[in-house]
Amino acid sequence: MDTTIIIQMILMSLIAVFIYTFIGFIPGTDETSVLMPITLAVILAGTPPVVILSFFIAAIVTLNLVNAIPTALVGLPGGVMSSPMMEHSLYLKEKGLSALVIRKMAVGSLIGTIISIPISLILSGILAPFGAKIKIIAPLLFFIGAIFLSLIGKNKTLSLFSIIPMAILFMGLRHLYWGIGIVPEGTNITTSFFLGITIGPLIVSLFNLLNKKNRSIVTTKDKKEISIPSNSRVSKTLNPFKILSEEEIKSSIIGALVANFLFVLSPVGLTILFGESLSNRIKDPTKKATTAITTMSALAQSTYLSGIIIPLIAIGIPLSPTAIGPGGALFNAPPVFSLENNIHHLLSKGEFVAAILIGSLIAVSITYYITNRFASSISAFVLKKIPHEAILGIFISLIFLLAYMDAGLINIFGVLLIGLTCGSLNKMGVNYGIQFMTLYAAPFIIEKIILF
Amino acid sequence: MDKKKQMVEIWGDVVEIKSLIIAIIVSIVSTMGFYAIAPSDDKTKQLFFGLIGAVIGFTISAIFIKPKRIIVIEEKIEE
Repeated sequence: MDTTIIIQMILMSLIAVFIYTFIGFIPGTDETSVLMPITLAVILAGTPPVVILSFFIAAIVTLNLVNAIPTALVGLPGGVMSSPMMEHSLYLKEKGLSALVIRKMAVGSLIGTIISIPISLILSGILAPFGAKIKIIAPLLFFIGAIFLSLIGKNKTLSLFSIIPMAILFMGLRHLYWGIGIVPEGTNITTSFFLGITIGPLIVSLFNLLNKKNRSIVTTKDKKEISIPSNSRVSKTLNPFKILSEEEIKSSIIGALVANFLFVLSPVGLTILFGESLSNRIKDPTKKATTAITTMSALAQSTYLSGIIIPLIAIGIPLSPTAIGPGGALFNAPPVFSLENNIHHLLSKGEFVAAILIGSLIAVSITYYITNRFASSISAFVLKKIPHEAILGIFISLIFLLAYMDAGLINIFGVLLIGLTCGSLNKMGVNYGIQFMTLYAAPFIIEKIILF
Repeated sequence: MDKKKQMVEIWGDVVEIKSLIIAIIVSIVSTMGFYAIAPSDDKTKQLFFGLIGAVIGFTISAIFIKPKRIIVIEEKIEE
């Protein structure tokens, strides 16, 4: 690897940190919809694969930490991954502990990153010989994953019943597009369907506004009052061991460690599962909440990092929710990458390690410092300057763009249909993880169901 | 009620319906407009133009629409 490539890797990692620090502070921005399109653009621009990987790793590490900050600071989740923290964050915010919580989040994320990179590199090495075999049974694994996530979720029966109808919806649209010839037969549209699922709950809420009676329910006369704790008096220590208690360090290490082995499962699901179970044994409500927050912050990093690193190095197909969603473009971005020729095939072992280390170290060190020092001021800036309307607007226009690019005007309405259906199911209690798994298992489900 | 000033809570924050409609229209027109002027045989440029359009739409909305939030800075000293 020559120096120019390394400089490019460092530069692109810095750009990722810069972009995603701001995006992360915007409340409610979904990880997939902010990571995927920009990564796709970087790939299509002809960036060298090893530089793309550094960019992406820096982006997810930055986003995972920064997304957590608004929960503590202003009581709004920065993204999907930080929604499990909401309850604990709000509890601690009311106690006036926001600044402390942010520092604990930063250390948690540091622990998560440091633990999960070596572990997922080792795991990839172990799994690599089986990569070809795993690839063959991948569709079955997605199906089992959807069932498994349903069974560990809150609404088991509802989720189980929704799997096959959702699969029919996805495949129904694909067959329609093949039938009318707008996409070549066998080409599975995934990107825009994925965003349709992601944006589903928002679409349902927006459609609800069109109903006069429903609109009056959500109508409010007051602006949203948000209090931001000033962090000017926060103690100056950056030493991670002084910020966390022994209990919190232990829980985050255990959580981050175990999550690596479960990389095929939904990151949000794992974060809730381990975050809650590791903190539940603590009696004191404040300590319980801080442990949950720290552990969840570590889990956010480890689920994302293992979810992208292991499938990329060992398998070469997106066999985890992170790889399917936010990282989808690293596996499949026609005409640059395809499932037969992507980052997995193009990089050597050494290049993987270099890209992952450069991206993650730059991101984790900068964000660790920034969040410890400037969380309040950046947050105040974003909340004062960025209207929620503009955020919803850019979301919807991105969906329009990607849906149109995938399969023309009809697909804008197809994605709308997916959004309405999946969004309604989501509001009833079928979580994202199950829906994403079903999207990938859909060809398999349809293929098998017609045999009966 | 004055329909033009109607505010609703959606996705965890408060928006004004009229501003929301304007923001959505501005963003879509700007995104798809830039997409349309990109060379039609180059998917990369199309995506790039589209993203640039989205950012421009976002910027226009952000300049002309004021956030419906009241920001209070707490000057409380924490331990």
